[in-house]
Amino acid sequence: MSIRLNPNILPDLLTAIQTSKQNLDTATTQLSSGLSVNQLSDNPSAAAALVLNHNQSSQDDQFVQNLGTLQSKFQVADSTLSDVVTALTRAISIGTEGANGTLNATDQQDVAQEVQGIQQQIAGLANTTYQGTYIFSGTDVTTQPFTVDPTIGAATYNGNNNANPVQLFNGTFVNSGVPGNQLFQNASGSVFGSLQALYTSLQSGNVNNIASAVNQVQNALSQVGVQRVFYGNALNQMSSSENFLSQDKINLSTQENTLVAVNPAVAATNFSQSQLAYEGELQATSQVLNLPTLLDFLK
Amino acid sequence: MGTLTSALNVTLGSMLADEGAIAVTSNNIANVNTPGYARQVANLEESPPVPVGNLTIGTGVQLQGVTSLRDSILDLRVNQETQAQGQLNAFLSGGQQIQSLFNETSGVGLQTDITNFFNSFSQLSTSPSDLNLRQAVITAGQNLAGAFNSASNSLTTQQRNTDLSITQSVTQINTLTTQIAAVNQQVTAAQAAGQNAGPFIDQRQQLINQLSNLVDVSEINAGNGSLTLTTTGGSALVVGGQSFALTTQVNPNGLHDIYSQGSDITSSTTGGQLAGQFQIRDQEIPTIQNSLDALAGTLASSVNTQSIAGFDLNGAKGTNFFAPPPAGNVGAASSLKVATTDPTKIAASGDGAAGDNTNANALAALQNQPIINGQTPISAYSGLVFQIGNDVQNAQSNQQAGSQVLQQLQNLQGGVSGVDINEEAANLVRFQNAYSASAQAATVINTLLQTTIDIIPNS
Repeated sequence: MSIRLNPNILPDLLTAIQTSKQNLDTATTQLSSGLSVNQLSDNPSAAAALVLNHNQSSQDDQFVQNLGTLQSKFQVADSTLSDVVTALTRAISIGTEGANGTLNATDQQDVAQEVQGIQQQIAGLANTTYQGTYIFSGTDVTTQPFTVDPTIGAATYNGNNNANPVQLFNGTFVNSGVPGNQLFQNASGSVFGSLQALYTSLQSGNVNNIASAVNQVQNALSQVGVQRVFYGNALNQMSSSENFLSQDKINLSTQENTLVAVNPAVAATNFSQSQLAYEGELQATSQVLNLPTLLDFLK
Repeated sequence: MGTLTSALNVTLGSMLADEGAIAVTSNNIANVNTPGYARQVANLEESPPVPVGNLTIGTGVQLQGVTSLRDSILDLRVNQETQAQGQLNAFLSGGQQIQSLFNETSGVGLQTDITNFFNSFSQLSTSPSDLNLRQAVITAGQNLAGAFNSASNSLTTQQRNTDLSITQSVTQINTLTTQIAAVNQQVTAAQAAGQNAGPFIDQRQQLINQLSNLVDVSEINAGNGSLTLTTTGGSALVVGGQSFALTTQVNPNGLHDIYSQGSDITSSTTGGQLAGQFQIRDQEIPTIQNSLDALAGTLASSVNTQSIAGFDLNGAKGTNFFAPPPAGNVGAASSLKVATTDPTKIAASGDGAAGDNTNANALAALQNQPIINGQTPISAYSGLVFQIGNDVQNAQSNQQAGSQVLQQLQNLQGGVSGVDINEEAANLVRFQNAYSASAQAATVINTLLQTTIDIIPNS
């Protein structure tokens, strides 16, 4: 005699329907969210890795934002220094005129006045602000970096020698600028010192002194050029950092897809299969439930 | 030699027995969908034969009794598996609520706020004297504190709700044990009177099964058909006709402990819904709260230490960014709060210069330093996310496997006790035919008696 089976097959049928319905729901959720992991328990390791992935991705976004801020600031600094170079070139040009002995005393005084004007123009440039802070005062950004004595033309640096390192991506920093004294009062060529010498020598009319002062201005110009290279290099470095960050973002995005995204083709296939299974299950159940019993045949 | 009269009695007995069998069959059909009902069989038995001379004459059939078909071992296994399922279902219900609080895949959780907070220092490092960026640090800090507060408070709320469910479970348990004790008495009384106790046993088994879903139950057969029920830890629930109610008492944490006759059985509950609820309330939620507290408290302390090492916008010595966390970080997540609302107080500078960003860089760098038990804040949080997901996933796997076992056991139980309409229909026909045959035999015997009577001449 065979083993007596459970005559109540309804629980088995309902479990089968429930399982098919769950599969269908899962496929629907995956299709609508585009994710294979919709709850932590779907794949705890992937969910945990996703936390790290999103964290790195947000840090990268922040670095890109930092880059943008620095780039704007550096462009302002570079453009300011470009104006300084133009002004110094003009000073050299008129100083050279003063040194070649062709100017009379009145003309020399006029030239001296122009040099003073250039000095004041450069003082204005050296005190340039970006978004409310001085860009050439080191880290003492709320203090005006240079004050120039209008009578004798002597400039005083009020900032400090420091520069802020700003992170471009994990572990890589770039200084946020060059302190003003390095640019305008460099020992190898001081902008303000040389202009002051030129102004004084033009006023005194000593041709030799004027020539010497022009040389000093030329040295200062060279030094500004040398220091200006920092901005060019930094902008290049930022550009390559930007490339690195954008590649890192792509990698992180690929990793995120691998971790939690669902393959649309697979999800669509799962959905159709689950739908077929569910409908099949319902049909089979309706047929089984409507099977006749012996009672139907007894007359 | 038997007489026509005794033969007539045999047919009468047969008809009575078949009537009884038909009644049992009808009862089976009537109860085909009754939960817990075990099919019954009519025990037909030959009536004792009568010796007549050297012959032994049969005296027909009698309905000796009615038996409910049960397999007590299977019933026990079903109850045990029901306890495991009750526990896993309760744990899963709580675990799924918990994991929804940290569902990072849909952007819910602490990752965004932790990252944004440290990023705000990185942003500040580009322009340390910018008041807008300083305000952004405070806002990010407040968002982070809010996220920790909210996660911790949600867990506390869930813990309280689970505690409420526990007291409700205890009420249900007490109702069931009272009912079981009453039915126990009915079983004993029926058996003592030699009656079929099957229907009462069905009812009792159904109640014990419901009880098993709530709490771990051990069954001891006390004789006389009576069952003694205890928790697996040995605390009495039902002894004979007496039930022992579980009681609750509020513990120092404001949560309810369960007592059986004065003894605290909270930690010894090993099965049923109650055990799953205890797991959520006393293990899962406190473990996650501790991790959150450690994360919030250590993060706040590290940020504070670094803040104090720096200088604010006015060149003054830095102060605590967060309100100092409680001792041992107990409750740190729920109480995390930004200490300052003044953006100039953010200690971004390392040397007092307004534009220096050394300390802002150091604060931003905390994000990638192993400050929490050798892990970075985000790694520690990621570990917590894994733990929560993994606990639910394990419970799900066990629940699915257990549910299949339970279904198989219920199928085996149904194989023994379930009513099969086809079988009952066949029995109905069988007993109907036997009844008709006996009635036909009675008709024949009646004819014979009439014939015999007709032999006697009319006087």
